[in-house]
Amino acid sequence: MTQRHIIGTDNPLTEGQRRVLAIVLDLIVPASDDGLRPSAADVDVLGYIREVEGHTLDALRADLDRLDAEARQTHGQAFASLDPATRQGLVDALREMAPHFMRTLALQTVTCYYQDDRVLEAIGVGARPPFPKGYEVPPGDLSLLEPVRQRGKVYRDA
Amino acid sequence: MANDVVDVLIVGAGASGAAVAWSLAETRMRIVCLEQGGWMNPAEYPSNARDWETRAAKEMQVSPNLRKRPADYPINDADSPIAILNFNAVGGSTILYSAHFPRFHPSDFRVRTLDGVADDWPIDYATLEPFFAQNDNNIGVAGLAGDPAIPAHEPPLPHIPMGRMGETMGQGFNKLGWHWWPSDSAIITRPHNGRGECLNLGPCNTGCAQGAKSSADIAYWPVNERAGVELRTHCRVREITVDENDMATGVTYFDADGNERHQRAEVVVVACNGVGTPRLLLNSTSARFPDGLANRSGLVGRNLMLHPWGLVVGHFDEPLASNFGPQGCCILSQQFYETDASRGFVRGYNMQITRGGPPVGTARGGVAQGAIPWGEGHHEAFDRLFGRSIHLGLCCEDLPEAHNRVTLDPVLADSNGIPAPKISYTLSENSRRMLDHGLDRGAEAMEAAGARRVQKVPSPLRMAGWHLLGTARMGTDPERSVVNEWGRSHDVRNLFIVDGSVFVTSGGVNPTTTIQAVALYIADSMKRRLANLFD
Repeated sequence: MTQRHIIGTDNPLTEGQRRVLAIVLDLIVPASDDGLRPSAADVDVLGYIREVEGHTLDALRADLDRLDAEARQTHGQAFASLDPATRQGLVDALREMAPHFMRTLALQTVTCYYQDDRVLEAIGVGARPPFPKGYEVPPGDLSLLEPVRQRGKVYRDA
Repeated sequence: MANDVVDVLIVGAGASGAAVAWSLAETRMRIVCLEQGGWMNPAEYPSNARDWETRAAKEMQVSPNLRKRPADYPINDADSPIAILNFNAVGGSTILYSAHFPRFHPSDFRVRTLDGVADDWPIDYATLEPFFAQNDNNIGVAGLAGDPAIPAHEPPLPHIPMGRMGETMGQGFNKLGWHWWPSDSAIITRPHNGRGECLNLGPCNTGCAQGAKSSADIAYWPVNERAGVELRTHCRVREITVDENDMATGVTYFDADGNERHQRAEVVVVACNGVGTPRLLLNSTSARFPDGLANRSGLVGRNLMLHPWGLVVGHFDEPLASNFGPQGCCILSQQFYETDASRGFVRGYNMQITRGGPPVGTARGGVAQGAIPWGEGHHEAFDRLFGRSIHLGLCCEDLPEAHNRVTLDPVLADSNGIPAPKISYTLSENSRRMLDHGLDRGAEAMEAAGARRVQKVPSPLRMAGWHLLGTARMGTDPERSVVNEWGRSHDVRNLFIVDGSVFVTSGGVNPTTTIQAVALYIADSMKRRLANLFD
């Protein structure tokens, strides 16, 4: 029986679409080797999309379905059942063929990913908003201005 | 009572309206300011939240056409390569400005005499100098005295931190033998007038949560209100009314509930920026002024100047922590500010060194451009960009051309039914050459500073039309200007214009400090002529 799309407040994707999405997110941003940065599959990208860019959900569903359909047509299996190298190859081929394929998802993924506490901590920004703590910035070496001072005035009198 | 006659009615509570109100307040006249927006709450600015980049993109969009806050009005800028940007609130566009605060040069007021183009201003740098200084002290400006690119002045607060990235670019400029200097910045680096100092939050251009950026809502309006100026928010002016003697009688406006009201006034001061001001004047038609108020010269809305903006990005191997610090303020170079005919164009441009991108901005840009791949290598590529890039903005002087103009759109209107402004603008050949020169020189500077990769971004940038100038120009000849040399309309003797509309030329720098100096100068001129202001 074909699974129907049940689009509700809490369930914008089918289980199958969710499985494909998780794999794709990990293909976009895998976990770092040192373990400090999570995989994008471990970040709530779907929650971000629903909250901020809900108007793109239809396109996302279409892309996920297309990927799964291509897997079945080309390899006779669901996308989620393919081995990692074959998944990667299929996604690469689709992106090569249609440069806009999942482009929006990639941008949404990094938008959500680089606001995740674990990621902000790992890249040195800190898991906090800029305010109120702010950041330290050194004043800079003003002796570097000496050649500029020596050359003197560079504006015209008028 | 709203129907009383007020002495001075100011339209617009942005950079210039705030400065004029401050200056006139000492006269003890009854002053009312009508502002179409409301007060912003710094506690609600994006940088209070971890997801500030998402919130900034959603809530603090620079284009009113995308932002669509209730206070915004639409602008038809389809016929311009540069989109019109603004913000509508108490404080106006200073809510979102970067606070980069370089002054015009003396030569900017004498372009016809020195370079044979456009027109000289009827005032000069020396006339404005005390008002630059007054404004710097009023709002709090950080900088370093001794810049050889501008007449001597003493910024009241220590300069903004350059950081490693500022030093890196400074060394690059030194290699080339070019000018550079820590830029004057309308940001307080020490406590000033009860405000706390800059914390290097970063995203100044999404609103300053600390209140250290000297936006007009914070730096001027609390003082103005304590001095007795009445500020009415959410009041959008539709037209300025006049009598049979060509004198302004007041304004018709919509209040916060959408009710149409009329406020009578002895003097009307327009401070709505280079697009909002001609829009209001052109919409104020009458039998005496069928082509718009104060428009017998036919110049209202013409000579729009926008500062075509170029961008060069340098990527460096070494970590520069360039993502930290006030986004738009660091150092500048004015090596190519003054005219040199051998360059193939007249006039010049400012190089504004700005900080590198924040995390999401870096990642989105990198992914979109293919510099950050999917999958393997993603983290390494991000790390190569983040905190290791420097931006160089080119603010090119735009010369006045009559065909670049603001008119009223025949179809588009705001939520009160007031016609929207329509922009018709083309990039001049002089500006094109200047941009190309700047992009090449910017790339040269990045390479001298040691960048491993340099990007010359296709320019002019579309989303960069912040500087709205020239559409009600100042001059002594009523045939060739809209206001006289102290801001009074040639046609309506109790109507004053105080914003960037009155600029005769645009200079090659961010204009807010000069806009506020001009506004203070006009207010001072009014005060000195109070006994015979309308003669």
